[in-house]
Amino acid sequence: MNITPLTQNPAGNFAGDVTGIDLTQPLTGRQVAAIEAGMDRFAVLVFHDQHFNDDTQLAFSRNFGELEISSGGEMSKPEDRRLKLEMADISNLDRDNKMRAADDRVRLVALGNRLWHSDASFRAVPAKYSLLSARVVPGRGGNTEFADMRAAYDALDAATKAEIETLVTEHSNVYSREVIGFPKESYGADNQDKLRPVRQRLVRTHPVTGRKSLYLSAHIGTIVGWSVPEARAFIRDLTEHATQRAFVYAHVWRPWDLVIWDNRTTMHRARRYDDLHEVRDMRRSTIRGDSMTAPQQEAA
Amino acid sequence: MRMTPLHPGFVAEVSGIDISVPLSGDEVAAIEDGMDRYAVLVFRDQPLTDEQQCTFSRSFGELEMTLIGQMMKPTERRLGPVEMGDISNLDAAGKMRARDDSRRMYALGNRLWHSDASFRATGAGYSLLSARVVPGYGGNTEFADMRAAYDALDDRTEAAVEDLVSEHSIAFSRDVLGFNDYGEGNEDKVRPVRHSLVRTHPVTGRKSLYLSAHIGGIVAWPVPEARAFVRDLTEHATQPQFVHAHQWRVNDLVMWDNRTTMHRARRYRDLQEVRDLRRTSIKGTRLTAEQVPAMAAE
Repeated sequence: MNITPLTQNPAGNFAGDVTGIDLTQPLTGRQVAAIEAGMDRFAVLVFHDQHFNDDTQLAFSRNFGELEISSGGEMSKPEDRRLKLEMADISNLDRDNKMRAADDRVRLVALGNRLWHSDASFRAVPAKYSLLSARVVPGRGGNTEFADMRAAYDALDAATKAEIETLVTEHSNVYSREVIGFPKESYGADNQDKLRPVRQRLVRTHPVTGRKSLYLSAHIGTIVGWSVPEARAFIRDLTEHATQRAFVYAHVWRPWDLVIWDNRTTMHRARRYDDLHEVRDMRRSTIRGDSMTAPQQEAA
Repeated sequence: MRMTPLHPGFVAEVSGIDISVPLSGDEVAAIEDGMDRYAVLVFRDQPLTDEQQCTFSRSFGELEMTLIGQMMKPTERRLGPVEMGDISNLDAAGKMRARDDSRRMYALGNRLWHSDASFRATGAGYSLLSARVVPGYGGNTEFADMRAAYDALDDRTEAAVEDLVSEHSIAFSRDVLGFNDYGEGNEDKVRPVRHSLVRTHPVTGRKSLYLSAHIGGIVAWPVPEARAFVRDLTEHATQPQFVHAHQWRVNDLVMWDNRTTMHRARRYRDLQEVRDLRRTSIKGTRLTAEQVPAMAAE
Protein backbone atom coordinates (compact mmCIF):
# COMPACT_ATOMS: atom_id res chain seq x y z
CA MET A 1 0.00 0.00 0.00
CA ASN A 2 1.33 3.39 -1.01
CA ILE A 3 0.01 6.92 -0.16
CA THR A 4 0.71 9.99 -2.32
CA PRO A 5 -0.18 13.42 -0.85
CA LEU A 6 -2.86 15.29 -2.83
CA THR A 7 -2.41 18.76 -1.34
CA GLN A 8 0.03 20.60 0.84
CA ASN A 9 -0.73 23.50 3.18
CA PRO A 10 1.43 25.34 5.71
CA ALA A 11 0.44 22.79 8.38
CA GLY A 12 1.47 19.76 6.31
CA ASN A 13 -0.13 17.31 3.89
CA PHE A 14 -3.89 17.05 3.50
CA ALA A 15 -5.64 14.19 1.65
CA GLY A 16 -3.73 11.19 0.29
CA ASP A 17 -4.22 8.99 -2.75
CA VAL A 18 -3.85 5.32 -1.80
CA THR A 19 -2.82 2.56 -4.23
CA GLY A 20 -1.91 -1.11 -3.98
CA ILE A 21 -4.76 -2.45 -1.84
CA ASP A 22 -8.11 -4.16 -2.51
CA LEU A 23 -10.57 -3.07 0.19
CA THR A 24 -13.31 -5.48 -0.87
CA GLN A 25 -11.26 -8.40 0.53
CA PRO A 26 -10.76 -9.07 4.27
CA LEU A 27 -7.80 -7.03 5.57
CA THR A 28 -5.00 -7.99 7.95
CA GLY A 29 -4.56 -6.13 11.25
CA ARG A 30 -1.43 -4.60 9.81
CA GLN A 31 -3.30 -3.23 6.78
CA VAL A 32 -6.00 -1.72 8.99
CA ALA A 33 -3.34 -0.11 11.17
CA ALA A 34 -1.63 1.33 8.07
CA ILE A 35 -4.91 2.90 6.92
CA GLU A 36 -5.52 4.36 10.38
CA ALA A 37 -2.01 5.79 10.45
CA GLY A 38 -2.69 7.31 7.01
CA MET A 39 -5.93 8.84 8.30
CA ASP A 40 -4.14 10.38 11.28
CA ARG A 41 -1.65 11.97 8.93
CA PHE A 42 -3.78 12.95 5.89
CA ALA A 43 -7.33 13.15 7.42
CA VAL A 44 -8.77 12.18 3.99
CA LEU A 45 -7.81 9.07 1.99
CA VAL A 46 -8.87 8.38 -1.59
CA PHE A 47 -8.98 4.81 -3.00
CA HIS A 48 -9.80 4.20 -6.67
CA ASP A 49 -11.36 1.14 -8.37
CA GLN A 50 -12.86 -0.43 -5.24
CA HIS A 51 -15.83 -2.44 -6.50
CA PHE A 52 -17.93 -2.56 -3.34
CA ASN A 53 -21.45 -3.79 -2.84
CA ASP A 54 -23.26 -2.69 0.33
CA ASP A 55 -22.22 -5.80 2.24
CA THR A 56 -18.51 -5.56 1.42
CA GLN A 57 -18.53 -1.81 2.18
CA LEU A 58 -20.09 -2.42 5.60
CA ALA A 59 -17.65 -5.27 6.31
CA PHE A 60 -14.68 -3.06 5.40
CA SER A 61 -16.08 -0.16 7.47
CA ARG A 62 -16.38 -2.32 10.62
CA ASN A 63 -12.57 -2.56 10.73
CA PHE A 64 -12.57 0.94 12.17
CA GLY A 65 -15.30 0.68 14.81
CA GLU A 66 -19.00 0.41 15.34
CA LEU A 67 -21.31 1.57 12.54
CA GLU A 68 -23.62 4.50 13.06
CA ILE A 69 -27.25 4.49 11.92
CA SER A 70 -27.82 7.37 9.50
CA SER A 71 -30.09 10.17 10.72
CA GLY A 72 -31.94 10.17 7.40
CA GLY A 73 -32.59 6.45 7.90
CA GLU A 74 -33.73 6.93 11.49
CA MET A 75 -36.17 9.63 10.54
CA SER A 76 -37.71 7.94 7.49
CA LYS A 77 -40.29 5.16 7.46
CA PRO A 78 -38.89 1.70 6.49
CA GLU A 79 -41.05 1.63 3.34
CA ASP A 80 -39.42 4.89 2.13
CA ARG A 81 -35.86 3.60 2.44
CA ARG A 82 -33.84 2.37 -0.53
CA LEU A 83 -30.90 1.03 1.52
CA LYS A 84 -30.15 -0.65 4.87
CA LEU A 85 -30.25 1.49 8.03
CA GLU A 86 -26.45 1.55 8.41
CA MET A 87 -26.04 2.78 4.86
CA ALA A 88 -26.74 6.47 4.33
CA ASP A 89 -28.33 7.05 0.94
CA ILE A 90 -26.38 9.91 -0.66
CA SER A 91 -28.24 9.86 -3.95
CA ASN A 92 -30.99 11.65 -5.84
CA LEU A 93 -33.04 8.44 -6.15
CA ASP A 94 -36.23 7.36 -4.46
CA ARG A 95 -37.05 3.82 -3.38
CA ASP A 96 -37.98 2.85 -6.93
CA ASN A 97 -34.62 4.16 -8.19
CA LYS A 98 -36.29 7.11 -9.93
CA MET A 99 -34.80 10.59 -9.78
CA ARG A 100 -36.52 12.77 -7.19
CA ALA A 101 -38.72 15.67 -8.36
CA ALA A 102 -37.74 19.33 -7.83
CA ASP A 103 -40.05 19.79 -4.84
CA ASP A 104 -39.39 16.37 -3.22
CA ARG A 105 -38.98 16.86 0.53
CA VAL A 106 -36.02 14.46 0.78
CA ARG A 107 -34.27 16.32 -2.03
CA LEU A 108 -34.71 19.65 -0.24
CA VAL A 109 -33.37 18.28 3.06
CA ALA A 110 -30.37 16.85 1.21
CA LEU A 111 -29.49 20.34 -0.04
CA GLY A 112 -28.17 20.94 3.46
CA ASN A 113 -25.18 18.82 2.41
CA ARG A 114 -24.06 21.73 0.28
CA LEU A 115 -23.15 23.61 3.48
CA TRP A 116 -19.77 22.90 5.10
CA HIS A 117 -20.34 20.40 7.89
CA SER A 118 -18.92 17.56 9.94
CA ASP A 119 -21.07 14.39 9.87
CA ALA A 120 -23.28 13.77 12.90
CA SER A 121 -21.91 16.72 14.83
CA PHE A 122 -25.53 16.95 16.04
CA ARG A 123 -25.00 13.79 18.14
CA ALA A 124 -23.55 14.01 21.66
CA VAL A 125 -20.97 11.41 20.60
CA PRO A 126 -20.27 12.55 17.06
CA ALA A 127 -18.93 10.53 14.14
CA LYS A 128 -15.32 9.40 13.68
CA TYR A 129 -14.77 8.33 10.05
CA SER A 130 -17.19 8.51 7.14
CA LEU A 131 -16.68 6.23 4.13
CA LEU A 132 -18.30 7.25 0.86
CA SER A 133 -18.42 4.90 -2.11
CA ALA A 134 -19.33 6.17 -5.59
CA ARG A 135 -21.53 3.80 -7.58
CA VAL A 136 -22.90 6.19 -10.24
CA VAL A 137 -21.51 9.69 -10.82
CA PRO A 138 -22.92 12.57 -12.91
CA GLY A 139 -21.11 13.80 -16.02
CA ARG A 140 -20.57 17.26 -14.56
CA GLY A 141 -20.46 18.76 -11.06
CA GLY A 142 -21.18 16.95 -7.80
CA ASN A 143 -17.64 17.17 -6.39
CA THR A 144 -17.13 16.72 -2.68
CA GLU A 145 -14.84 19.28 -1.05
CA PHE A 146 -12.89 18.70 2.14
CA ALA A 147 -11.36 21.33 4.44
CA ASP A 148 -8.50 20.70 6.87
CA MET A 149 -9.57 21.87 10.35
CA ARG A 150 -6.07 21.24 11.76
CA ALA A 151 -4.46 23.65 9.32
CA ALA A 152 -7.35 26.08 9.87
CA TYR A 153 -6.72 26.01 13.61
CA ASP A 154 -2.96 26.41 13.24
CA ALA A 155 -3.46 29.49 11.03
CA LEU A 156 -5.57 31.40 13.58
CA ASP A 157 -3.91 34.39 15.21
CA ALA A 158 -2.98 34.04 18.89
CA ALA A 159 -5.82 36.29 20.11
CA THR A 160 -8.47 34.19 18.33
CA LYS A 161 -6.92 30.94 19.57
CA ALA A 162 -7.12 32.23 23.13
CA GLU A 163 -10.68 33.47 22.64
CA ILE A 164 -12.05 30.16 21.37
CA GLU A 165 -10.01 27.73 23.49
CA THR A 166 -12.80 26.93 25.96
CA LEU A 167 -15.90 27.84 23.91
CA VAL A 168 -18.72 25.30 23.65
CA THR A 169 -21.17 25.31 20.73
CA GLU A 170 -24.67 23.88 20.28
CA HIS A 171 -25.35 21.67 17.25
CA SER A 172 -28.63 20.47 15.76
CA ASN A 173 -29.73 19.33 12.33
CA VAL A 174 -32.41 22.02 12.62
CA TYR A 175 -29.92 24.88 12.33
CA SER A 176 -28.32 23.79 9.08
CA ARG A 177 -31.73 23.25 7.52
CA GLU A 178 -33.21 26.49 8.86
CA VAL A 179 -30.50 28.47 7.13
CA ILE A 180 -31.69 27.19 3.77
CA GLY A 181 -35.33 27.69 4.69
CA PHE A 182 -36.35 24.18 5.65
CA PRO A 183 -38.50 24.49 8.80
CA LYS A 184 -38.22 22.33 11.91
CA GLU A 185 -41.89 21.33 11.71
CA SER A 186 -41.28 19.53 8.40
CA TYR A 187 -39.34 16.79 10.20
CA GLY A 188 -42.62 15.48 11.64
CA ALA A 189 -43.79 15.24 15.24
CA ASP A 190 -42.08 11.85 15.81
CA ASN A 191 -38.64 13.22 15.10
CA GLN A 192 -38.52 16.38 17.21
CA ASP A 193 -36.46 14.62 19.93
CA LYS A 194 -33.72 13.90 17.38
CA LEU A 195 -33.37 17.62 16.76
CA ARG A 196 -32.56 18.64 20.32
CA PRO A 197 -29.22 20.51 20.36
CA VAL A 198 -26.07 18.83 21.69
CA ARG A 199 -22.92 20.54 22.94
CA GLN A 200 -19.46 20.31 21.37
CA ARG A 201 -16.12 21.95 22.08
CA LEU A 202 -15.13 24.47 19.40
CA VAL A 203 -11.51 23.32 19.67
CA ARG A 204 -10.87 19.62 19.87
CA THR A 205 -7.72 17.58 20.23
CA HIS A 206 -7.11 14.44 18.18
CA PRO A 207 -6.81 11.42 20.52
CA VAL A 208 -3.84 9.91 18.63
CA THR A 209 -1.85 12.79 17.17
CA GLY A 210 -2.62 15.30 19.93
CA ARG A 211 -3.16 17.96 17.25
CA LYS A 212 -5.77 20.62 17.83
CA SER A 213 -8.42 21.38 15.26
CA LEU A 214 -11.45 23.62 14.83
CA TYR A 215 -14.68 21.72 15.32
CA LEU A 216 -17.03 23.62 13.02
CA SER A 217 -20.21 22.54 11.25
CA ALA A 218 -23.29 24.03 9.59
CA HIS A 219 -25.20 22.35 12.41
CA ILE A 220 -23.94 24.97 14.91
CA GLY A 221 -26.75 27.29 16.04
CA THR A 222 -25.08 29.14 18.88
CA ILE A 223 -22.24 29.34 21.42
CA VAL A 224 -23.04 28.68 25.09
CA GLY A 225 -23.19 32.00 26.97
CA TRP A 226 -23.37 34.10 23.78
CA SER A 227 -26.34 35.75 22.13
CA VAL A 228 -27.47 33.87 19.03
CA PRO A 229 -26.77 36.61 16.44
CA GLU A 230 -23.28 37.27 17.80
CA ALA A 231 -22.50 33.55 17.90
CA ARG A 232 -23.71 32.98 14.35
CA ALA A 233 -21.81 35.95 12.94
CA PHE A 234 -18.62 34.71 14.64
CA ILE A 235 -19.11 31.10 13.48
CA ARG A 236 -19.59 32.38 9.92
CA ASP A 237 -16.30 34.26 10.14
CA LEU A 238 -14.49 31.19 11.50
CA THR A 239 -16.03 28.98 8.82
CA GLU A 240 -14.94 31.37 6.10
CA HIS A 241 -11.42 31.35 7.50
CA ALA A 242 -11.39 27.56 7.80
CA THR A 243 -12.60 26.89 4.26
CA GLN A 244 -10.31 29.20 2.33
CA ARG A 245 -8.74 27.64 -0.78
CA ALA A 246 -5.42 26.83 0.87
CA PHE A 247 -7.10 24.37 3.26
CA VAL A 248 -9.40 22.67 0.74
CA TYR A 249 -9.14 19.52 -1.37
CA ALA A 250 -11.85 19.08 -4.05
CA HIS A 251 -12.54 15.47 -4.97
CA VAL A 252 -13.72 14.83 -8.53
CA TRP A 253 -15.56 11.49 -8.38
CA ARG A 254 -15.06 8.48 -10.61
CA PRO A 255 -17.24 5.38 -10.27
CA TRP A 256 -15.87 2.98 -7.61
CA ASP A 257 -13.90 5.64 -5.75
CA LEU A 258 -14.00 5.21 -2.00
CA VAL A 259 -13.11 8.24 0.10
CA ILE A 260 -12.64 8.05 3.87
CA TRP A 261 -12.50 11.19 6.01
CA ASP A 262 -12.06 11.90 9.68
CA ASN A 263 -14.98 14.02 10.90
CA ARG A 264 -12.95 15.04 13.95
CA THR A 265 -10.42 16.95 11.85
CA THR A 266 -12.25 17.93 8.64
CA MET A 267 -15.39 19.53 7.25
CA HIS A 268 -16.84 18.65 3.86
CA ARG A 269 -19.62 19.67 1.49
CA ALA A 270 -21.21 18.51 -1.74
CA ARG A 271 -21.24 20.76 -4.80
CA ARG A 272 -24.13 21.33 -7.15
CA TYR A 273 -24.92 19.07 -10.12
CA ASP A 274 -27.88 18.67 -12.43
CA ASP A 275 -29.74 16.34 -10.07
CA LEU A 276 -33.04 16.52 -11.95
CA HIS A 277 -31.43 15.02 -15.05
CA GLU A 278 -28.39 12.99 -13.97
CA VAL A 279 -28.05 10.19 -11.43
CA ARG A 280 -25.53 10.43 -8.59
CA ASP A 281 -25.59 7.35 -6.39
CA MET A 282 -23.19 7.30 -3.46
CA ARG A 283 -23.37 5.15 -0.33
CA ARG A 284 -22.02 6.28 3.00
CA SER A 285 -21.15 4.23 6.03
CA THR A 286 -20.18 6.05 9.20
CA ILE A 287 -18.09 5.00 12.19
CA ARG A 288 -19.31 6.04 15.61
CA GLY A 289 -16.97 8.18 17.72
CA ASP A 290 -15.96 7.00 21.16
CA SER A 291 -16.41 10.08 23.34
CA MET A 292 -18.23 13.36 23.85
CA THR A 293 -16.29 16.58 23.33
CA ALA A 294 -18.21 18.51 26.02
CA PRO A 295 -20.54 17.75 28.95
CA GLN A 296 -24.20 17.73 27.87
CA GLN A 297 -27.06 19.55 29.56
CA GLU A 298 -29.34 17.37 31.71
CA ALA A 299 -32.30 17.67 29.34
CA ALA A 300 -30.20 16.77 26.30
CA MET B 1 -8.72 66.18 -8.45
CA ARG B 2 -6.77 62.95 -9.02
CA MET B 3 -7.85 59.31 -8.84
CA THR B 4 -5.39 56.51 -8.09
CA PRO B 5 -6.81 53.01 -8.63
CA LEU B 6 -6.09 50.52 -5.84
CA HIS B 7 -6.94 47.51 -8.04
CA PRO B 8 -7.26 47.32 -11.84
CA GLY B 9 -10.63 48.99 -12.49
CA PHE B 10 -11.84 48.70 -8.89
CA VAL B 11 -11.58 51.19 -5.97
CA ALA B 12 -9.69 54.46 -6.41
CA GLU B 13 -8.30 56.93 -3.91
CA VAL B 14 -9.27 60.52 -4.68
CA SER B 15 -7.02 63.44 -3.79
CA GLY B 16 -6.95 67.17 -4.47
CA ILE B 17 -10.54 68.00 -3.55
CA ASP B 18 -12.33 69.36 -0.46
CA ILE B 19 -15.79 67.81 -0.27
CA SER B 20 -16.94 69.85 2.74
CA VAL B 21 -17.65 72.88 0.52
CA PRO B 22 -20.16 73.09 -2.36
CA LEU B 23 -18.87 71.45 -5.55
CA SER B 24 -19.05 72.67 -9.13
CA GLY B 25 -21.06 70.72 -11.71
CA ASP B 26 -17.77 69.63 -13.31
CA GLU B 27 -16.47 68.25 -10.04
CA VAL B 28 -19.70 66.30 -9.42
CA ALA B 29 -19.55 64.91 -12.96
CA ALA B 30 -15.92 63.87 -12.46
CA ILE B 31 -16.80 62.01 -9.26
CA GLU B 32 -19.70 60.28 -11.01
CA ASP B 33 -17.36 59.25 -13.83
CA GLY B 34 -14.98 57.85 -11.23
CA MET B 35 -17.82 55.91 -9.61
CA ASP B 36 -18.86 54.43 -12.96
CA ARG B 37 -15.31 53.33 -13.52
CA TYR B 38 -14.11 52.23 -10.08
CA ALA B 39 -17.43 51.53 -8.20
CA VAL B 40 -15.77 52.59 -4.90
CA LEU B 41 -14.02 55.91 -4.18
CA VAL B 42 -11.97 56.69 -1.08
CA PHE B 43 -11.50 60.31 0.09
CA ARG B 44 -8.94 60.76 2.90
CA ASP B 45 -8.80 63.60 5.44
CA GLN B 46 -12.30 64.98 4.90
CA PRO B 47 -13.58 66.18 8.28
CA LEU B 48 -17.36 66.55 7.83
CA THR B 49 -20.31 67.58 9.96
CA ASP B 50 -23.58 65.74 9.43
CA GLU B 51 -24.91 68.75 7.50
CA GLN B 52 -21.84 68.89 5.22
CA GLN B 53 -22.10 65.17 4.55
CA CYS B 54 -25.79 65.55 3.64
CA THR B 55 -25.02 68.48 1.35
CA PHE B 56 -22.21 66.64 -0.43
CA SER B 57 -24.40 63.53 -0.76
CA ARG B 58 -27.29 65.51 -2.30
CA SER B 59 -25.02 66.31 -5.24
CA PHE B 60 -25.73 62.76 -6.43
CA GLY B 61 -29.49 62.52 -5.91
CA GLU B 62 -32.22 62.38 -3.35
CA LEU B 63 -31.32 61.05 0.11
CA GLU B 64 -32.89 57.91 1.40
CA MET B 65 -34.31 57.52 4.91
CA THR B 66 -32.59 54.68 6.76
CA LEU B 67 -34.80 51.69 7.51
CA ILE B 68 -33.75 51.52 11.14
CA GLY B 69 -34.43 55.26 11.46
CA GLN B 70 -37.92 54.63 10.17
CA MET B 71 -38.43 51.76 12.59
CA MET B 72 -37.12 53.51 15.73
CA LYS B 73 -38.86 56.00 17.95
CA PRO B 74 -37.35 59.53 17.65
CA THR B 75 -36.24 59.39 21.31
CA GLU B 76 -34.04 56.34 20.59
CA ARG B 77 -32.12 58.13 17.86
CA ARG B 78 -28.65 59.52 18.46
CA LEU B 79 -28.33 61.53 15.25
CA GLY B 80 -30.58 64.35 14.12
CA PRO B 81 -31.57 63.82 10.49
CA VAL B 82 -33.45 60.58 9.67
CA GLU B 83 -31.38 60.55 6.47
CA MET B 84 -28.22 59.89 8.53
CA GLY B 85 -27.59 56.18 9.11
CA ASP B 86 -26.03 55.60 12.52
CA ILE B 87 -23.29 53.04 11.87
CA SER B 88 -21.92 53.01 15.40
CA ASN B 89 -21.98 51.03 18.62
CA LEU B 90 -23.42 53.99 20.55
CA ASP B 91 -26.87 54.55 22.04
CA ALA B 92 -28.88 57.80 22.11
CA ALA B 93 -26.85 58.96 25.13
CA GLY B 94 -23.55 58.31 23.33
CA LYS B 95 -22.69 55.24 25.47
CA MET B 96 -21.46 51.94 24.07
CA ARG B 97 -24.29 49.45 23.68
CA ALA B 98 -24.44 46.45 26.02
CA ARG B 99 -23.77 42.93 24.77
CA ASP B 100 -27.46 41.92 24.60
CA ASP B 101 -28.75 45.26 23.21
CA SER B 102 -31.32 44.51 20.49
CA ARG B 103 -30.02 47.33 18.27
CA ARG B 104 -26.55 45.78 18.47
CA MET B 105 -27.98 42.39 17.45
CA TYR B 106 -29.70 44.01 14.47
CA ALA B 107 -26.44 45.69 13.41
CA LEU B 108 -24.60 42.35 13.33
CA GLY B 109 -26.43 41.76 10.04
CA ASN B 110 -23.96 44.23 8.50
CA ARG B 111 -21.31 41.54 8.82
CA LEU B 112 -23.03 39.60 6.04
CA TRP B 113 -22.23 40.58 2.43
CA HIS B 114 -25.03 42.86 1.23
CA SER B 115 -26.05 45.71 -1.02
CA ASP B 116 -27.68 48.59 0.86
CA ALA B 117 -31.48 48.82 0.75
CA SER B 118 -31.80 45.90 -1.66
CA PHE B 119 -34.93 45.20 0.44
CA ARG B 120 -36.51 48.26 -1.23
CA ALA B 121 -38.11 47.94 -4.65
CA THR B 122 -35.69 50.51 -6.11
CA GLY B 123 -32.62 49.49 -4.08
CA ALA B 124 -30.08 52.22 -3.29
CA GLY B 125 -27.76 54.13 -5.61
CA TYR B 126 -24.59 55.31 -3.84
CA SER B 127 -23.85 55.01 -0.14
CA LEU B 128 -21.43 57.42 1.53
CA LEU B 129 -19.78 56.47 4.81
CA SER B 130 -17.83 58.97 6.88
CA ALA B 131 -15.55 57.84 9.73
CA ARG B 132 -15.70 60.02 12.85
CA VAL B 133 -14.20 57.60 15.42
CA VAL B 134 -12.47 54.33 14.52
CA PRO B 135 -11.39 51.43 16.75
CA GLY B 136 -7.72 50.58 17.24
CA TYR B 137 -8.16 47.08 15.85
CA GLY B 138 -10.59 45.47 13.36
CA GLY B 139 -13.77 47.00 11.96
CA ASN B 140 -12.65 47.12 8.32
CA THR B 141 -15.26 47.44 5.60
CA GLU B 142 -14.81 45.06 2.66
CA PHE B 143 -16.10 45.68 -0.85
CA ALA B 144 -16.66 43.11 -3.60
CA ASP B 145 -16.85 43.95 -7.32
CA MET B 146 -20.07 42.45 -8.72
CA ARG B 147 -19.08 43.39 -12.31
CA ALA B 148 -15.88 41.34 -12.14
CA ALA B 149 -17.80 38.56 -10.37
CA TYR B 150 -20.33 38.50 -13.21
CA ASP B 151 -17.63 38.54 -15.88
CA ALA B 152 -15.92 35.55 -14.24
CA LEU B 153 -19.00 33.28 -14.29
CA ASP B 154 -18.76 30.31 -16.64
CA ASP B 155 -21.10 30.38 -19.66
CA ARG B 156 -23.44 27.81 -18.15
CA THR B 157 -23.97 29.79 -14.95
CA GLU B 158 -24.23 33.06 -16.87
CA ALA B 159 -27.10 31.55 -18.87
CA ALA B 160 -28.68 30.07 -15.70
CA VAL B 161 -28.83 33.42 -13.87
CA GLU B 162 -29.73 35.68 -16.82
CA ASP B 163 -33.50 35.87 -16.26
CA LEU B 164 -33.75 34.96 -12.59
CA VAL B 165 -35.61 37.21 -10.17
CA SER B 166 -34.83 37.10 -6.46
CA GLU B 167 -36.83 38.15 -3.39
CA HIS B 168 -35.22 40.47 -0.84
CA SER B 169 -36.29 41.37 2.69
CA ILE B 170 -34.42 42.68 5.73
CA ALA B 171 -36.09 39.77 7.57
CA PHE B 172 -34.07 37.19 5.59
CA SER B 173 -30.63 38.54 6.49
CA ARG B 174 -31.64 38.84 10.15
CA ASP B 175 -33.29 35.39 10.25
CA VAL B 176 -29.99 33.82 9.27
CA LEU B 177 -28.48 35.25 12.45
CA GLY B 178 -31.52 34.31 14.53
CA PHE B 179 -32.82 37.89 14.96
CA ASN B 180 -36.46 38.81 14.42
CA ASP B 181 -37.25 41.52 16.96
CA TYR B 182 -38.49 44.42 14.81
CA GLY B 183 -41.09 45.85 17.16
CA GLU B 184 -44.76 46.37 16.44
CA GLY B 185 -45.98 48.32 13.45
CA ASN B 186 -42.97 47.42 11.28
CA GLU B 187 -44.37 44.33 9.55
CA ASP B 188 -44.89 46.21 6.27
CA LYS B 189 -41.19 47.12 6.15
CA VAL B 190 -40.08 43.49 6.01
CA ARG B 191 -42.35 42.50 3.09
CA PRO B 192 -40.15 41.05 0.28
CA VAL B 193 -39.43 42.96 -2.94
CA ARG B 194 -38.21 41.56 -6.25
CA HIS B 195 -34.94 42.22 -8.08
CA SER B 196 -33.25 40.85 -11.17
CA LEU B 197 -30.25 38.72 -10.24
CA VAL B 198 -28.33 40.25 -13.13
CA ARG B 199 -28.51 44.01 -13.58
CA THR B 200 -27.08 46.34 -16.17
CA HIS B 201 -25.47 49.62 -15.16
CA PRO B 202 -27.49 52.51 -16.69
CA VAL B 203 -24.37 54.47 -17.76
CA THR B 204 -21.65 51.93 -18.54
CA GLY B 205 -23.96 49.16 -19.78
CA ARG B 206 -21.87 46.65 -17.83
CA LYS B 207 -23.65 43.69 -16.31
CA SER B 208 -23.22 42.76 -12.67
CA LEU B 209 -24.55 40.24 -10.18
CA TYR B 210 -27.14 41.76 -7.86
CA LEU B 211 -26.57 39.74 -4.72
CA SER B 212 -27.30 40.55 -1.09
CA ALA B 213 -27.76 38.81 2.28
CA HIS B 214 -31.33 40.12 2.07
CA ILE B 215 -32.17 37.51 -0.61
CA GLY B 216 -34.49 34.82 0.76
CA GLY B 217 -35.68 33.13 -2.42
CA ILE B 218 -35.72 33.00 -6.20
CA VAL B 219 -39.10 33.35 -7.88
CA ALA B 220 -40.50 29.89 -8.83
CA TRP B 221 -37.68 27.96 -7.10
CA PRO B 222 -38.05 25.86 -3.94
CA VAL B 223 -36.63 27.98 -1.10
CA PRO B 224 -33.83 25.60 -0.02
CA GLU B 225 -32.60 25.25 -3.60
CA ALA B 226 -32.66 29.02 -4.08
CA ARG B 227 -30.74 29.66 -0.88
CA ALA B 228 -28.11 27.00 -1.60
CA PHE B 229 -27.60 28.49 -5.08
CA VAL B 230 -27.41 32.09 -3.85
CA ARG B 231 -24.84 30.99 -1.26
CA ASP B 232 -22.72 29.44 -4.02
CA LEU B 233 -23.00 32.61 -6.13
CA THR B 234 -22.11 34.78 -3.12
CA GLU B 235 -19.06 32.66 -2.39
CA HIS B 236 -17.98 32.99 -6.01
CA ALA B 237 -18.57 36.75 -6.00
CA THR B 238 -16.62 37.44 -2.83
CA GLN B 239 -13.42 35.56 -3.64
CA PRO B 240 -10.27 37.44 -2.65
CA GLN B 241 -9.54 38.57 -6.23
CA PHE B 242 -12.81 40.57 -6.30
CA VAL B 243 -12.47 42.06 -2.80
CA HIS B 244 -10.94 45.24 -1.39
CA ALA B 245 -10.60 45.69 2.37
CA HIS B 246 -10.80 49.30 3.52
CA GLN B 247 -8.94 50.02 6.73
CA TRP B 248 -10.54 53.10 8.26
CA ARG B 249 -8.78 56.27 9.36
CA VAL B 250 -10.62 59.11 11.06
CA ASN B 251 -12.14 61.50 8.48
CA ASP B 252 -12.16 58.98 5.65
CA LEU B 253 -15.19 59.19 3.41
CA VAL B 254 -15.84 56.14 1.26
CA MET B 255 -18.57 56.07 -1.34
CA TRP B 256 -19.72 52.99 -3.21
CA ASP B 257 -22.24 52.10 -5.87
CA ASN B 258 -24.76 49.60 -4.48
CA ARG B 259 -25.73 48.66 -8.02
CA THR B 260 -22.30 47.16 -8.76
CA THR B 261 -20.84 46.16 -5.37
CA MET B 262 -21.54 44.31 -2.15
CA HIS B 263 -19.91 45.19 1.15
CA ARG B 264 -19.70 44.00 4.73
CA ALA B 265 -18.31 45.13 8.08
CA ARG B 266 -15.73 43.05 9.89
CA ARG B 267 -15.63 42.31 13.59
CA TYR B 268 -14.06 44.64 16.17
CA ARG B 269 -14.14 44.83 19.96
CA ASP B 270 -17.39 46.78 20.03
CA LEU B 271 -17.96 46.33 23.77
CA GLN B 272 -14.63 48.03 24.54
CA GLU B 273 -13.93 50.42 21.64
CA VAL B 274 -16.00 53.10 19.93
CA ARG B 275 -16.59 53.01 16.17
CA ASP B 276 -18.67 55.95 14.97
CA LEU B 277 -19.42 56.04 11.25
CA ARG B 278 -22.21 58.01 9.57
CA ARG B 279 -23.88 56.86 6.41
CA THR B 280 -25.94 58.66 3.82
CA SER B 281 -27.51 56.82 0.89
CA ILE B 282 -28.85 57.99 -2.43
CA LYS B 283 -32.23 56.66 -3.45
CA GLY B 284 -32.32 54.21 -6.31
CA THR B 285 -34.27 55.56 -9.25
CA ARG B 286 -35.61 52.47 -10.94
CA LEU B 287 -36.98 48.99 -10.36
CA THR B 288 -34.83 46.09 -11.52
CA ALA B 289 -37.83 43.75 -11.75
CA GLU B 290 -41.59 43.90 -11.82
CA GLN B 291 -43.12 43.77 -8.33
CA VAL B 292 -46.09 41.60 -7.44
CA PRO B 293 -49.16 43.81 -6.82
CA ALA B 294 -49.19 43.42 -3.01
CA MET B 295 -45.58 44.64 -2.92
CA ALA B 296 -45.99 47.59 -5.23
CA ALA B 297 -47.18 49.71 -2.28
CA GLU B 298 -43.57 49.89 -1.07
